[in-house]
Amino acid sequence: MISGQELIDRIQKNVGVPWQSQRSDGFSDGILLGSPDTTVTGIVTTCTPTLDVLRRAVAFGKNTLICREAPFYSRGERAPLFWRNGPAPSKELMDNDAVCRTKQEFISKNNLVIIRFLDNWEARRTDGQLRGLARALGWHQFHAAAIYGGGDYQPQNVYFLLPKTSLNVLAQNLKEKLNIRGVRVIGDPASTLHKVALKHGLLLVADAERLLREPGLDVVIAGDTVEWEAGPYFQDLVTARKAKGLILIGNEASEEPGCGEVTEWLKSFVTEVPIEWIPAGEPFWVLSQTKVLQ
Amino acid sequence: MNGTQTRRQFFQVAGGGLLLAPALMRAQSSTVLTAREVVARIKRNVGVPWRTPTADEFKIGDPDAPIRGITTTFMSTLDVLQRSAAVGNNFVITHEPTFWSTTDIVSELRDDPLYMHKLDFIQKNGMVVWRFHDHWHARRPDGIFAGWNKTMGWENYAIAGANPFSHEYVVPETSFEALVRDMQIRLKVRSMRLVGDPKLRVTRVGHAGHYIQECMQVLPNVDVLIVFECREWEAAEYVRDAISTSEKKTLIQLPHEGGEEAGMDECARWLRTFVSEVPIKFIPSGDPFWIPG
Repeated sequence: MISGQELIDRIQKNVGVPWQSQRSDGFSDGILLGSPDTTVTGIVTTCTPTLDVLRRAVAFGKNTLICREAPFYSRGERAPLFWRNGPAPSKELMDNDAVCRTKQEFISKNNLVIIRFLDNWEARRTDGQLRGLARALGWHQFHAAAIYGGGDYQPQNVYFLLPKTSLNVLAQNLKEKLNIRGVRVIGDPASTLHKVALKHGLLLVADAERLLREPGLDVVIAGDTVEWEAGPYFQDLVTARKAKGLILIGNEASEEPGCGEVTEWLKSFVTEVPIEWIPAGEPFWVLSQTKVLQ
Repeated sequence: MNGTQTRRQFFQVAGGGLLLAPALMRAQSSTVLTAREVVARIKRNVGVPWRTPTADEFKIGDPDAPIRGITTTFMSTLDVLQRSAAVGNNFVITHEPTFWSTTDIVSELRDDPLYMHKLDFIQKNGMVVWRFHDHWHARRPDGIFAGWNKTMGWENYAIAGANPFSHEYVVPETSFEALVRDMQIRLKVRSMRLVGDPKLRVTRVGHAGHYIQECMQVLPNVDVLIVFECREWEAAEYVRDAISTSEKKTLIQLPHEGGEEAGMDECARWLRTFVSEVPIKFIPSGDPFWIPG
C-alpha cells in the first residue's frame, strides 16, 4: 500500500536535488487535484492529462497521474508573462464551463490524484526529457557528448552530429519517428545540415542565442516558440545566412518521450503498484501538403 | 523588466545617435515628407484617442529624415526590410516587433550578431521603422479584422458576438475540412494546425484572441474556434477535451501572420486615403512555416 503523499515523499527522496515546491509564477510540483490520503492503485505518467488519458488510466485501474501539464489548460502563470500565455481561467469561468465541469466530475468520481512533476524533474543532473526525445529518435549514436566523451544527457548536451542530410529529409524523419503531423519548419527545404540542437518545450530568443554559440550549428529542433520572438528570429537568421533553420515538432511531441523516462525512473523505487506511460498524443492534424502554397 | 524603462533604454541604444542629425534636412523644404509627419496624420485619422504607454512608437531610424516610400507589413523581418529597400521604401510600418520581443527590448541584444546585422542593414539603408499595433486594433472596426474579413470574403457573415473581444461569423454551412481548405487559399497560409472531425458540418465560426479564458467564452457559441499565437496547452487541449465530452467542436490554430497580416494590407489602403506624396506598398512577411508533406 502506498498513498499519494507517500508517493510524493518517495519521489522527493529519490529525485537527487533539493525539492522546490513553491513557484511564484505558476503551479508548483505536487498534488494539483485529489487527496494525499488516497491509496494509489496504479500510476500513469503522461505529458498532458487529457480527458482521454484519464479515461484510459481508469480503464486500466490506475488512479494516480504524474504529468507535466495541469488538467485545466493553463500552467497557472500570471499574465502578462510577456503576453506569451494567458493567466489561469477564473474559478467562475471554470465552474460555468461544461468541459471543465465534466472533467472535474470524472476526476472526483474516480478519486484520481493528479500530480505535477516538472520543475524538480528538470532540475536533475540528467535531462530526462532530452534523453527521452533522443531515444525516441534513435539518435544516441549521434549525440555529440557521446562522440566526444564528457557526459551524458546533461541539460547543456543538446548537440547531435547527424549524417549529412537536407532540412526536408530531416523534417520528414522527425515526423515518422515521432508519429506526428504538425511539424512546422523555417528554412530552405534543400539546405544541407549536419549539426543540430534538440530543445524540448518552448524555445525563447535567449535559448536560441545560447544554442547558436555552438560553432557550426545548422538547425535547432524545438517544441514550440513564440511567433513574434524566436520564430522571426530564425526567419532573420536564415535570411542573414547565420543558420539553416528551425523545426518545431510541437510542445506535446517534444515532451512526451521524457514522460516515458519518468515511468522508467519511478519503477526503480516504486514497486507496489503498476506504472505505465500513456502518451496523450499530438492534438493536431494538418491538411495534406501535396500542393504547398508559395 | 519594466516596460517604460526598457523603451527608454531602447531609444538610447537604437535611436540616440541618429536623432541629432536631421535639423538641417527639416529646414531644407517644407514639402519633404517625413515618417514623423506620416505618424501625425495617422494619429489624426485613426479615430481613437492616442494612448500611452503604447507599443506604437518609432523603433529605429530617424523620424525626421525624408521618406521615399512606405511599406506596411505584419512583421518587419529582415526579408521584408530587404524587399522594402529594393523598391525604394525607406519607411516601414510594422504591426509586430522588429527585434523579437513585445516591446523591442534591445538592451540584451547588444552582443547578438543577428541584431548587429539587422541594425547595420537598417542604418546603411537609412530606414525608419514604426510599429502600428495597439491603435490599429483599437480602431472601430478593428483595422486588422477589417482586413481579415475582406480577404476571407466574410464581411457579410460577421455577427455581433456575445463577447466584446471576439469576432464571430455565421458562414454558409460546409464541412470543417472544406472551410479550412478555403481559408488556406484565401489567407495563403501553409502551417494551419487543426483539431476536430474534418467531416463535421459547421456554420458558426469565432476568433477568440490568444488566451484560454477567451477560448472558454467563445467556444460554447461556435462550431469552429480560431486562435493564433496561443500556447499548445491552452486552446488545443481545451478543444480536444471538449471533443472527448462528445461536443461537436473544432479548432483552427493559424500561424499568427495568417490571423493578422491581411489587416496590414488594409492599413496600406487606408494610408493612401491621406498620404499621397510617396508610394505605399503592402509587403507580406508571409507564413514563416512550411509543413513536410
